[in-house]
Amino acid sequence: MFFCGQQPLNMFFLRVWVSASKQAVSRKLSMESVLTGCSRASSGMAADKEPLKKAKTPQGRFDVPEEKSKDVLEKFPDNINPVTKEKGGPRGPEPTRYGDWERRGRCVDF
Amino acid sequence: MASVRAASRLLSRRAISNIKAVPAAAVQNSRNFHFSIYGKKNNAKVSDDISTQYPVVDHEFDAVVVGAGGAGLRAAFGLSEAGFNTACVTKLFPTRSHTVAAQGGINAALGNMEDDDWRWHFYDTVKGSDWLGDQDAIHYMTEQAPAAVVELENFGMPFSRTEDGKIYQRAFGGQSLKYGKGGQAHRCCCVADRTGHSLLHTLYGRSLRYDTSYFVEYFALDLLMEDGQCKGVIALCMEDGSIHRFRSQNTVIATGGYGRTYFSCTSAHTSTGDGNAMVTRAGLPCQDLEFVQFHPTGIYGAGCLITEGCRGEGGILINSEGERFMERYAPNAKDLASRDVVSRSMTIEIREGRGVGPEKDHVYLQLHHLPPQQLAARLPGISETAMIFAGVDVTKEPIPVLPTVHYNMGGIPTNYKGQVIDYTDGKDKVVPGLYACGEAACASVHGANRLGANSLLDLVVFGRACALTIASEHKPGEKLSPLKPNAGEESVANMDKLRFASGSLRTSEIRLNMQKTMQNHAAVFRTGSVLKEGCDKMDDIYQTLDQIKTFDRGIVWNTDLVESLELQNLMLNAVQTIHSAEQRKESRGAHAREDFKVRVDEFDYSKPLQGQEKKPFDQHWRKHTLSYVDRKTGKVTLKYRPVIDTSLDEEDCAHVPPAIRSY
Repeated sequence: MFFCGQQPLNMFFLRVWVSASKQAVSRKLSMESVLTGCSRASSGMAADKEPLKKAKTPQGRFDVPEEKSKDVLEKFPDNINPVTKEKGGPRGPEPTRYGDWERRGRCVDF
Repeated sequence: MASVRAASRLLSRRAISNIKAVPAAAVQNSRNFHFSIYGKKNNAKVSDDISTQYPVVDHEFDAVVVGAGGAGLRAAFGLSEAGFNTACVTKLFPTRSHTVAAQGGINAALGNMEDDDWRWHFYDTVKGSDWLGDQDAIHYMTEQAPAAVVELENFGMPFSRTEDGKIYQRAFGGQSLKYGKGGQAHRCCCVADRTGHSLLHTLYGRSLRYDTSYFVEYFALDLLMEDGQCKGVIALCMEDGSIHRFRSQNTVIATGGYGRTYFSCTSAHTSTGDGNAMVTRAGLPCQDLEFVQFHPTGIYGAGCLITEGCRGEGGILINSEGERFMERYAPNAKDLASRDVVSRSMTIEIREGRGVGPEKDHVYLQLHHLPPQQLAARLPGISETAMIFAGVDVTKEPIPVLPTVHYNMGGIPTNYKGQVIDYTDGKDKVVPGLYACGEAACASVHGANRLGANSLLDLVVFGRACALTIASEHKPGEKLSPLKPNAGEESVANMDKLRFASGSLRTSEIRLNMQKTMQNHAAVFRTGSVLKEGCDKMDDIYQTLDQIKTFDRGIVWNTDLVESLELQNLMLNAVQTIHSAEQRKESRGAHAREDFKVRVDEFDYSKPLQGQEKKPFDQHWRKHTLSYVDRKTGKVTLKYRPVIDTSLDEEDCAHVPPAIRSY
């Protein structure tokens, strides 16, 4: 399909076709079918296809008012941990409370 | 579509027969794949010195960094900052490197929470390494730690803060005050819960200020070595299949670890130990590969780790008979026994046939006997984690778990400056032109066991160290030493052989065999007979590499080829790991053997040293393993190198004499 889009290759086709004009008829026919195939493909592709199915992205999802799904780990007010007064730290309970670095049940460092 | 292709093939064949054969070197892409900055010196030349089948492009740089994770990026922009024309060759986009998954923190003795001293951090790290770490490298790392963290913070890394605005530090990773006698130290700095991600993005953003040339999605095949000196790297461009030779006086390897040699690991699919393999193929050794850090409860299949807090809150490990097997192995501590005891117990259960699942190769972690509200309150997020990674509802079903590889302490041996060394005639000898940093290197800061939050520190400190060493010993624009025109031939031949391989075993089958063997024989449970059996099996599997079969014969984005190249690299790492483990007849740090449960040092440190005779070097095990592989036969040879016991400045920071490690 992409052959048809590129100019140099089309020229190449035509030039070689011209030089090989003494070739057998079957070659000529295949060449013609190639060119027509290309032209058919490049124009009006969607014409005979069925209409596009409903897009996969949920339309209007972001139009719904602010009811965000509650994250299990809640944000601290002002991002400051009330107990340790840490600013910008990890949300939720202290990650190192079990001796390893825990986050949502996963251990990421130990 | 097919008719178009057929027609064009016929036409092109006709056309070519009328024109003279065009050498591969002149086959240029019609479109420039790479973005080049206006005015930048672009002296890449196309040559057909080593291959007429593949277009080969030669580049010349002052320094080449292989790998763009935390260490690679730090080295690359450190070098660019110093004025070197640097290339960064990476098989992944920099922000996709595995550093992004390191969510823990960085240790540094900044002293923001209490009075702190880097010498206490030094002591903790030496003890944590079970006295296998080189104390000069540890001295260097812990002394530079505060400066490194402050530098990162100046680059814009958003650490969490205390009320006063200083970096907040928390207690983590076996850190203590006053050489172990002052209680828990608070040294771990973090960025919310994504320190590694933030580190990588900060370093990448910073590196864009300097004109480092990034060669993204270039798979480094081999080092170009001549007369024992490293003169560059040869790489495959995955995008268009061309070969690129990067010539430079300085090459830095920062390719990461090799977790993927095991069936269950937390590492990305791209952690394939490419740097270790490149160095092995160049005839240089790899150090301490038998030290692999495991975690007992990694989710089967996914590789994510389940926190020990689950067991702390009452979760239990059960086998196929529904029995709480930890009661047999640790009657008092039961499921709260230490990590290595739990890992070994799980492995023994699996080996004795009481594993669960269709292949009976893992056990279950049961949490559904705990009240769901308590689980949600104490361990928020665990139900989502279990559902996403294991597909189980944690309030009804147990989670499948097995011991999982997390970190590789071993790697390419370097000195504290980041220069790669070889050990000949009883001395460390620097390999000119080659440097290594990060998880791929083994400056031996972690020794036999890595402490938590030390590996991110290792990345930045040694990445910077490599850049500083190169800057101090070389100048930008130095003339390159001559290189044979056909350098890199074997790498291209090997790649070509793999691309057209048509044996009997697929890449994925050989890889799975290797991973299963390593998981069964070289994992947590290590005894002489199991390791010996594993060594023989691994040698056989190494030989099956000759029967590899690949399917994709293309040249553009051939992932089959790249995975097969990665498999060759993994295989070299795996044989060295298992052979080193089999030979080391003691238990030290992460290498724990059932038949040799004690640490064997030159003195018996559990008794007073008075009156003890020092054991000769070949009769104790406080030494580094250096492993070499003969690439054709797969035979592993081992040598040993002494541990460096002196710090960089004995007056400033005395070395820590060995002692029994107990917490």
